[in-house]
Amino acid sequence: MFKDLDPILHSQLRLSIVSILMSVDEANFNFIKDTTNATSGNISIQIKKLEQAGYIQVKKSFKNNYPNTTVSITSKGIEAFEEYVNDLKKYINPPK
Amino acid sequence: MTYNINLFIFVSRIILELNTTAKTMDKTNLTPEESLLLITKTIEETKQRFQENGHIIILWGSLTFIVFLSQYVLVFLGLYKIFDIMWTCILFPLGGIYTFIYVRRKVEKKNIPMTIIGRTIGTMGWVFGFNLMILGFIFGHQLDKAAAPIFLILLALFIIMTGISLKFKPLTIGGILLNLIGFGTFLISTDYYGLSMMLGALVGLIIPGILLNKANRKENV
Repeated sequence: MFKDLDPILHSQLRLSIVSILMSVDEANFNFIKDTTNATSGNISIQIKKLEQAGYIQVKKSFKNNYPNTTVSITSKGIEAFEEYVNDLKKYINPPK
Repeated sequence: MTYNINLFIFVSRIILELNTTAKTMDKTNLTPEESLLLITKTIEETKQRFQENGHIIILWGSLTFIVFLSQYVLVFLGLYKIFDIMWTCILFPLGGIYTFIYVRRKVEKKNIPMTIIGRTIGTMGWVFGFNLMILGFIFGHQLDKAAAPIFLILLALFIIMTGISLKFKPLTIGGILLNLIGFGTFLISTDYYGLSMMLGALVGLIIPGILLNKANRKENV
């Protein structure tokens, strides 16, 4: 009856990252780190997983001689997030 | 020896990082309620980090107010000719430089991400500023008496759009009042244009800017 929740998004940190990216055009690595309070290693792993799923796009560049990683959500990511939220709503308020 | 110590530190760090990763933020058995709460909380936190604090709006309001107050003082002192040099060459360019540095530092310090609203307001602000400078420098004499009301009407459009984008009613109301003051300025004697500009700066920029600053502080407490 209930659809399985998207396993890529159904993880605390990955869901946080995608939620951040839903409210901005793009965010850099440090902003994500400050907002989620997670470790750099953990964020890197989750970003890689989201990128492999095609949900986010990662851009690596240099800013003032320091590496600067910028992340943005893809249209596939937006669709997956919207579907995930709709599925959550169905779990909380099951259709009669 | 040094190489071995460095290698040991490097390996220890990786182990520590992996352990932390395993322990924190790796929760996959979230309940639907927890997930929704997490989404809401994260979006709210993200929004709070780049909220407009009204600082720049207050700055430009005060600057406009000072410029036109000084016009009366200079006229009173018989130094009216200095007025144009003062606002075109000193006060407004200084305000522009300060705004540029302030925005850049704020973005870099807090790693503020780019948002559609932020980009829209920022672009509108710079476009408005440049248009105003071109109107003042190049077409000022052609606009003649209409310069002050046109300035107020253009500023009102920018403030109304900003208020609507930020969903902050006092700013939208301030912009509407500023728009009315702009049209009202056409109806009064040029002797009172300075007063009209000062009133516009107070109603459309300073008061809404202070209210925005207060609202921002309240939310961040």
